Amino acid sequence: MLDFDGSKKARRREAAIALGLLVVALTLWLLPAAFQSSVRKAIQGTVLSPFLSAQAVLSGRRASSVDVTEVRAQRDSLVAVVSAQATLSEENRRLRELLRLHARTGPSFIPAEVLQLGIGTAESTFMINVGSEEGVRVNSPVIAAEGLVGKVVEVRDHMSQVMDWTHPDYRASVMTVDGQSMGIAQARHDTDNREQDVLVINGAPFHTDLRPGQLVVTTGRGNIFPRGIPVGIVLAIDEADTGWRKSYLLRPMVRPEVVTSVLVGVGPVDADLSELWGSARAPDTTRVPPRSPGGRPARRDTSTVPITTTGQ
Amino acid sequence: MASRSDLSFWVFFTLLVIAHFILHVALGLRETAPDLLTVALLLGVRRTRSSVAAAIGLLLGLLQDSLSLSAFGADAVVLTLLGYAGARSRDLFEGDSLLFVAAFLFIGKWLHDFGYWLLARDPSASGFVSLFLVDVPIAALYAAVAGVVALLLYRASTGER
Repeated sequence: MLDFDGSKKARRREAAIALGLLVVALTLWLLPAAFQSSVRKAIQGTVLSPFLSAQAVLSGRRASSVDVTEVRAQRDSLVAVVSAQATLSEENRRLRELLRLHARTGPSFIPAEVLQLGIGTAESTFMINVGSEEGVRVNSPVIAAEGLVGKVVEVRDHMSQVMDWTHPDYRASVMTVDGQSMGIAQARHDTDNREQDVLVINGAPFHTDLRPGQLVVTTGRGNIFPRGIPVGIVLAIDEADTGWRKSYLLRPMVRPEVVTSVLVGVGPVDADLSELWGSARAPDTTRVPPRSPGGRPARRDTSTVPITTTGQ
Repeated sequence: MASRSDLSFWVFFTLLVIAHFILHVALGLRETAPDLLTVALLLGVRRTRSSVAAAIGLLLGLLQDSLSLSAFGADAVVLTLLGYAGARSRDLFEGDSLLFVAAFLFIGKWLHDFGYWLLARDPSASGFVSLFLVDVPIAALYAAVAGVVALLLYRASTGER
């Protein structure tokens, strides 16, 4: 038998060292997010850098080899052609829609390619091939042609990490298009099938009644997501919380797992993007009301005052 | 001074770690690729002192955690414990047969996923039973098979028994 640890004394020493290492690991785990971020960045920028760069290169090559794939598919069989073209046409459709959206957003959003991560600990996040050099910053909104995907959480020179809406920490202040109901949207996970994840609006006032099919957009509160980005469509009521609040299930506008290209916000976040998606502009009851000539704040409709004040 | 066999084993260990990050980060494969990081740790800790095993666990955990947003450090904690426990398991279990290695890898991977779930679970998530009776055993079996195949290749290339 291999006897690495030797005598009792040596074993105690080994255990003490291991305990010290465990304390280091626990300290890292319990560190404030800002400190964790700098350690993460250091590791990503050094040890993991070749792997992340390789993914960016492979992703670019994969995109440029689409034509070859199509030719091979045509050669192989008609069925393969149909199948490949169905996928390609879907991707083309998405890209065309994204291009149209980009034309409307102008320079305040820049296009980026999605680099999916296959590590369990990085679930609900992905990398994009733009970073601080392109104007991306922490909390930059990330959108697809259909609506909100998530926000940037880590930025490097030419690469950033994005938290999509399925992440447990994701929150977005949302409202109906008419601005009558507001709440906080967050993910509801289905452990058996992550593709069945949906969004839930928590904290909608009890007197409001959202109808299935109603579009829900960002409110613009919290200086992260500009106002008017589609988030989801109301599916049904989730629960009514003993008389004060209701929760609603939302069908998200975007499934992160199928997104291959996105637009990243690099402009001001106080813009109203409602018109980009053709949704009616809601009355803005969330901002500080303009002062009346007498110097007193103008009255506002208290029936639409948001009940939540979280900043995202 | 490290023997030739030790050196070749740690080269094999490094290759497993690199393969893990190629499959999961560079190629972006998720569950379709086995967890070679845990496999590498479990194979490595049987050949080293328990303190070194814990240190290896800490380092590998930090690498894995560097892409985690909400549970940074959780895998470092779990792999540190797993490294130490794996090294100390020599006192309880001994064996080099493929069946023993497969069982060791299976249990180790299951414990890893359970430990990680305890530290980093999403409070809104449900489905503990299906996760640990179906998904995790499949992932553990996949890791065990991948580990045994890798070990066979290593033994074939080095002549080690």
